[in-house]
Amino acid sequence: MTRRRDKGAAVASLIVLAAVTAAAILAPMLSPAEPLRNDLLERLTPPMWNAGGSAAHPLGTDTLGRDVLSRLLYGARVSLVVGFVTVIISGAAGVALGVLGGFYGGWLDDVLMRAGDVQLAFPVLLLGVALLSVLGPGLVNLVLVLVVSGWITYARIVRGETLSLKHREFVEAARALGALDGRLIWRHLLPNVWAPIAVVATFSVARTIIAEASLSFLGLGVPAPTPSWGAMLDEGRNYITTGWWLALFPGTAILLVVLVINLIGDWLRDALDPRVERGI
Amino acid sequence: MPSFLLRRLIHGVFVVWGVVTAVFFLVRLTGDPSAFLVDQSATREEIAHTRHLLGLDRPLYQQYAAFLLAAPRGDFGTSIRDKRPAMGLVLEHLWPATVELALAAALLSTVLAVPLGIISATHKDRAADHVSRIASLLLQSMPGFWLGLLLILLFAVELRGFLPAFGSGTWRHLVLPAVALAAAPLAQNARLVRAGMLEVLQQDYVRTARAKGVPERGILYRHAFKNAAIPFITVSGLSLGFMLSGAIIIETVFAWPGLGRLIVQAVPGRDFPVIQAGVFVFALIFVALNLVVDLLYAAVDPRVRLG
Amino acid sequence: MAKRTARRWVWAVVLALAVGTSEAQTVDGVAVDADAELVVAVPDDTNNMDPRIGMGSTRSNYIRQVFESLVDVDAQGKPVPGLALSWKPVNDLTWEFTLRRGVTFHNGEAFNADTVLFNLDRMFRKNLDKWGVKDVTAGTSFEKVYPAVTRWEKVGDYTVRIYSSEPVPNLWDVVGREPLVPREYAIKNGVEALNERPVGTGPWKMVAWKRNDSMRFERYEGYWGSPPLFKRLRFQVIPEAGGRLAALRAGQVGLVDAVPPLDAGVLGREPGIKVMSSAQKLYCRIYLNARPKDKFDSGGKDGLFTDPRVRLAFNLAVNKEGIVQKIFHGYAQANASPVATVSYGYAAQEPYAYDPKRARALLAEAGWKDAGPDGVLKRDGETLTLQLLFPAKHYGQGFDETTPAVAEMLKAVGVQVVIKPVDYGTLIQTVTKGTLPYNGGFTACRTSNNLDADDYLRDWTAITLINWAPYPADLVELYRATRREVDPQKRLKLMADLQRRVRDWAPVVSLYQEAKIFAASTRVLRFAPLMDLHMDFRGVALRK
Repeated sequence: MTRRRDKGAAVASLIVLAAVTAAAILAPMLSPAEPLRNDLLERLTPPMWNAGGSAAHPLGTDTLGRDVLSRLLYGARVSLVVGFVTVIISGAAGVALGVLGGFYGGWLDDVLMRAGDVQLAFPVLLLGVALLSVLGPGLVNLVLVLVVSGWITYARIVRGETLSLKHREFVEAARALGALDGRLIWRHLLPNVWAPIAVVATFSVARTIIAEASLSFLGLGVPAPTPSWGAMLDEGRNYITTGWWLALFPGTAILLVVLVINLIGDWLRDALDPRVERGI
Repeated sequence: MPSFLLRRLIHGVFVVWGVVTAVFFLVRLTGDPSAFLVDQSATREEIAHTRHLLGLDRPLYQQYAAFLLAAPRGDFGTSIRDKRPAMGLVLEHLWPATVELALAAALLSTVLAVPLGIISATHKDRAADHVSRIASLLLQSMPGFWLGLLLILLFAVELRGFLPAFGSGTWRHLVLPAVALAAAPLAQNARLVRAGMLEVLQQDYVRTARAKGVPERGILYRHAFKNAAIPFITVSGLSLGFMLSGAIIIETVFAWPGLGRLIVQAVPGRDFPVIQAGVFVFALIFVALNLVVDLLYAAVDPRVRLG
Repeated sequence: MAKRTARRWVWAVVLALAVGTSEAQTVDGVAVDADAELVVAVPDDTNNMDPRIGMGSTRSNYIRQVFESLVDVDAQGKPVPGLALSWKPVNDLTWEFTLRRGVTFHNGEAFNADTVLFNLDRMFRKNLDKWGVKDVTAGTSFEKVYPAVTRWEKVGDYTVRIYSSEPVPNLWDVVGREPLVPREYAIKNGVEALNERPVGTGPWKMVAWKRNDSMRFERYEGYWGSPPLFKRLRFQVIPEAGGRLAALRAGQVGLVDAVPPLDAGVLGREPGIKVMSSAQKLYCRIYLNARPKDKFDSGGKDGLFTDPRVRLAFNLAVNKEGIVQKIFHGYAQANASPVATVSYGYAAQEPYAYDPKRARALLAEAGWKDAGPDGVLKRDGETLTLQLLFPAKHYGQGFDETTPAVAEMLKAVGVQVVIKPVDYGTLIQTVTKGTLPYNGGFTACRTSNNLDADDYLRDWTAITLINWAPYPADLVELYRATRREVDPQKRLKLMADLQRRVRDWAPVVSLYQEAKIFAASTRVLRFAPLMDLHMDFRGVALRK
């Protein structure tokens, strides 16, 4: 009975996520105005259901007269791209490194694990602040920073699985028969590993979106004038009492997207029932 | 056990060294602070002179060697901005500010998680469980600073200073930042306790105990919880570590004079000694916590000791 | 007998009344609390208390509570006697300062000519071995900027003469604004003590300093001038503007510095709170790369903006009044002179009109005629691009909002603006090393510790990190003339002339000069913002 209810929530979440993605892709068509166009005369107009609002700007305008709804839609692109691309790259890199480390062991494994330990001891945000100060802000740099701080989780899980599988009879038998390592990894190891990876990856997307918002809050995210939800929250926090709509909408958007992704991840975890360390 | 401890200690030292070295070279890649220390109308020669006085024109390996020699004595250099010993500055900000905040938040997020998780587990699929699940999901989906801003808006502005919005000093100042910092981990921990309890409650030996007629409460506390303790210990230990990290943003929102904020401010200012000292302290604490967690693990689960 | 008793009673009553009323102090007829503490919410902590280490706008505020200078400033920004009673040029090459008597430092040390000589030694880094002082790396090196000043001596205990090899007409300002430190204290305890346990002549003694959190002061009872009418002062660091205002509304602080313009209007209508503002010296501009190719890391190209017509066009393309009204809600002003409006020697110039058509015409004159399909102007195949470095979050909200708005205005006349937010450190690195791209520029704000216009006019003389449009030969000549002219009237005229020519030559795109906005509880009496970088609490009282 639980499974069915969970499934309902997961399906609803997927629909919401699909809708958000569609909105992001269709942003140019759905936006009432250009997100970068600023017009000082239209500063800080409230949403249209408030006094002083207008239908031309349904969710109001920001401090430079830019339309909030348009920025919200274009901002969805940034958040989703940052979230998914980061996870795909860090996942791929982490899985590859984890498999190699687990399978071949030796110094490669040692180096990877030590690097991972060092990285974990580095407060994540600090790593972001330091690296972005070196590299400068930018979408590519941001993704790079998030990838660097994220790969280790996947690597650990995969390594653990690889280690335990390595010594199973069928693997040893296959090796004895002369099977290529690559084939082994591809055919036998990876399929056993994708379940926990999928779960972790899903939660990672959510965490990455929040991380992007946090870095933007510190002024290090995707640079102006590109709209991103985190940056919009950052701009809006100075106007909480006078321009509440500036922070409310992007904050709610982040909350909503992260929430549905977490729900999907929850369902995935229950469905796949992988032996993932609960501490992830 | 002693060899286990020794191995972990060596490992810890290595990790701290690795972190500090990485930071050392990383921040020097970002340039140097000489230009900050002079007037806007300074010439290149003056800036070069300042750089020389700071010792930043020496070759990197020389600077690193000097650093390695001084660090074990606790000498991390002088803050370029404040002209005071860097480690002193760091410790001033660590204690009591960040420690207070991290401890308060860690306590909130672990101690409260236990009863919440147990209630969820024992009332599985009933109203309390659903409410807790929704609340937990919401809290985990919110960026910490947004929750902080909402709390400020509600308690400090709307309720006219019922709780202060800034700074530190009394226990009242600690409430809002600690809650903002603890919220997401609390939610996560409660779910973990719930999951751990559920898993254990379904296991054979529990069913056996039930069949034998052992009262429910005994089952809960003696058998189930002790085994659910292992992931819980891991999580609590790491919680404190992540508190230090998450504290950075919370400290910024609430103007809490802590170490996270100090380091974040030192980075754009290229205040190398402070950055290095601060990261060293962070890494040290994190490693020490990990060590304690590992030891607790070893105490609870004998298999680990041999691993 | 009865008469004597009656007289005694009368005396008793009179005495009682006298004692009673002298307990209650009043200011403007309102009872004030002499023992109160005023908490001021400020956005930043200071890095140092020793003035030699550096004095920006934040640090000045802290430092000038404890230390004072020879020349003081009144509410209109005009120079008034401080630790010096008067100053005058004895001849073309000599300035004489007459010092105030009866002034003591917080630790009892006397202030006299010896103090001034010691401070001059520190400022110009001369004779330091004589004192056995190994001094700090200074923020401003006077010996480099004013090499003509050669020596100084005392004439009696309260007069100091300063000699120079060339006339230095603004020496009173150069030397007069430096906060002075105690000589014996510094020699005995080392200069670090000046930073950790500062001792000055000012109305406030520093009693506690919790870094990045707060600084506490207590009134100096031996102060020579009119003292603050309350006993304790605390600067509380609250970086977020919203936090500062929340603290004010909740009654946790009495005065807030750096109120955002949008909130000023709302706050002004709230009971129990008053809003005060005054012009200040923070002057924000876009600096364009107009250096010749040998003066920066150019890869062989001159700066793209060497043609003054192009720079003038940019000035005409920016709607400065629009910025002042819309972004700053009137709490700023447009200024066509390179000198801040509150400086001594400021001469108002014809404002730059907001005229995009004329801007385009000027650009066309300079060769930027053909507009591509995207509207961006081209010349010989090159597009008119501006790579604009901008230190986000360094100067405040208004600054952060102005840059994209200005970019949009420039786009409207055919300039392609690429905004590059960087952190302040990176910007400083770039301009110091000279690695600004040839088509680059940056937004930055300039403030001044000094009262004289020379501080601003000097910007485009030597190649320094903010000089990206060095004066042509004729302006160099004119500037040198202002430095040599001893007659005050003639000098003012020369400076006015220079300002007019600099306005037309337009080395920078001037954006706005910001006003300071304070908000205070109505309990705070007689506080007036200064047109200088710091807050002055002398004569301020707190209502009971």
